[in-house]
Amino acid sequence: MRVLIVEDEEKVSRFIVRGLTAESFAVDSAADGRSGLELATTYNYDLIILDLMLPVLSGTEVLRQIRRKDQRVPILMLTAKDAVSDKVEHLEAGADDYLTKPFAFAELIARVKALLRRGSVERPNILRVADLELDRLSQQVRRGNRRIELTAKEYALLEYLMTNAGRVLSRTMIIDHVWDQSFDGATNIVDVYVRHLRGKVDDGQDKKLIRTVRGMGYLVGDEADT
Amino acid sequence: MNTRSIRFRLTVWYAGLVAGLLVLFGAAVYIGLGEYLRSTLTESLTKEAQQIGETLLVNVNLSGETYVTDEIKEHFAPEINGLFIRVTRADGSTLYESGASRDGTFDPRNIKSRGEKAGTSRVEGLPNGTKLMISAVPFTSRDGETFVIEAGAPLKQSESVLHGLLLTFAVGLPLVIAVAIAGGYFLMTRALAPVGAITRTAEQITSRNLSERLPEAATGDELEALSIALNRMIARIEHSFRHINRFTADASHELRTPLTVLRGELEGLSRRTDIPDDARETIESALEESERLAKIVESLLAISRLDAGEALMNRELFDLAELTDDTVDQMRLLAEDKQIKLSCVAENAARVEGDSGRLKQVIVNLVDNAIKYTGEGGNVEIRVAATDGSARLEVSDSGIGIPPESLSHVFERFYRVDKARSRKLGGAGLGLSIVKSICKAHGGTIKVESNDGKGTRFTVDLPLANDDGADSRRSNVKEER
Repeated sequence: MRVLIVEDEEKVSRFIVRGLTAESFAVDSAADGRSGLELATTYNYDLIILDLMLPVLSGTEVLRQIRRKDQRVPILMLTAKDAVSDKVEHLEAGADDYLTKPFAFAELIARVKALLRRGSVERPNILRVADLELDRLSQQVRRGNRRIELTAKEYALLEYLMTNAGRVLSRTMIIDHVWDQSFDGATNIVDVYVRHLRGKVDDGQDKKLIRTVRGMGYLVGDEADT
Repeated sequence: MNTRSIRFRLTVWYAGLVAGLLVLFGAAVYIGLGEYLRSTLTESLTKEAQQIGETLLVNVNLSGETYVTDEIKEHFAPEINGLFIRVTRADGSTLYESGASRDGTFDPRNIKSRGEKAGTSRVEGLPNGTKLMISAVPFTSRDGETFVIEAGAPLKQSESVLHGLLLTFAVGLPLVIAVAIAGGYFLMTRALAPVGAITRTAEQITSRNLSERLPEAATGDELEALSIALNRMIARIEHSFRHINRFTADASHELRTPLTVLRGELEGLSRRTDIPDDARETIESALEESERLAKIVESLLAISRLDAGEALMNRELFDLAELTDDTVDQMRLLAEDKQIKLSCVAENAARVEGDSGRLKQVIVNLVDNAIKYTGEGGNVEIRVAATDGSARLEVSDSGIGIPPESLSHVFERFYRVDKARSRKLGGAGLGLSIVKSICKAHGGTIKVESNDGKGTRFTVDLPLANDDGADSRRSNVKEER
């Protein structure tokens, strides 16, 4: 998979390149709008990550010009602004997704993967992590032979964690997916739910599957995974 | 009526001045007219006395005294005309004295002879109360005999004129003063009307509509100058307010890029497996702080947006009771975790128009706070009700309460009642500021009451939406879909 990143902040660009390379992407980068547009129109990228505020040619303009030539390539906009109007404007101008700085790298990866998956919906009915099994059709969860009873929210939380198994999910991401942005305040709702979920999933088990990654968030995974 | 108002005070001053001037003027007229009447009376009496002397007494030695008295009686008929005439010889004896007037106003026998005061006029008061003006004129006949001729008339006539004048003043003055008060009040009301308009508009200008201006009446007077000056002041406030808001927005914005770098680099580092545990610990701690910093930046930006009136893009009509019920349901576990009894009474619909996501944030923040500051086994109660024109959300708890001296500060940015405690709970002191900004942006209010140690109650009032409009809009949306 070949990804282009157009971002004038060298350091931001650098850690994204590094992170995506570690995830086995081939990454090109451009530091201003014009060279970004040149690269975008010269090569066939699977995905373009485009910053909104760029020198020479603004991100909005680059977006328009790319869309004039190529309707298909997924474009993820990065921005330090988050006014709803901007968001709507850029989605209408042809951006596929929108990420506000500062973001968790895990979120960037999740969105990149979601955009690349687009079209081919890979949604297995059964999610498995070690001996933990979640059946999306019957909405049942089992750990080994034991059936686990979960509330609706706990189920939604576990499903989200298991869909992204092996990946650290930030509290903000969890709140956005399982609750909604309104809960992203001072509340420690995620921690409380994760603790309850952990009590049902991991208590009495030798192998703990739900792990806390300090400063980053939570992760579900077999230890062998990471 | 406000007795301290400019209108009242100026009217009083004005009326007082008019009254004072009128009294002065009236007194001058009264005294002047009295003087004038007296002097004309004196003058005509003197003339009469001189006439008697020049026509009758001049040849008294030839014509004889009887002739003189007869002539006086015939020409002047003093008794009929109410005149007093007396002619006194040099030795003080009376040559002639008129009789009592027919109308009985005076009797000359009561008037003492004062021959020595020849050439003067005097007012003689009689025992019956009548006042006579008497002029005495000295006269020397051709053969050198001297006489004093006195002519007098009652002052009654001129006195009745003065009396009439006084009466006119007594009736007219209060009338004129009343007109002056009414006129003055009316004029002041008219002159001060722009002040009322300026006051009303000024009252309505808040941080959210600073672009509004006061009415500037192009009257060219002081009030125009005042309104222009006030408008310039509002413009300066608007400018600095915008500046502050833009500064907050710019600062938050500029902080995001370094935060992104910080976080990205730290995350990258923590993914590596070859780092020692203590270094990992440091990285994780730094990540936590960068996360917190990011939250503060977000919150500040949200507040400055809300205060600038930009952030309510998603206006819709919804039921606050329903929203509250759903939101509280999602937070039950937080309460259960501390064995707190969480009850929500939101039975009747309370439709409001606004950004439901933002208002949900209000509910989340208030309920979250209530749970945080309530000890195990306590109560948190949420109520939603529609009461006369407003949708009311009440969140009360049986928690630690807020000390009275902190109560007025809880909505301030970065204010924390108990710094150590709230930091441990992860707050930056911005939650309630956001809540307040959201309420204000919706045209609502929030207030807090607290019994230190016994609990706190937050009350949010939002304007109720017009339900007819709500239904029609809803159906529109459905049709569109």
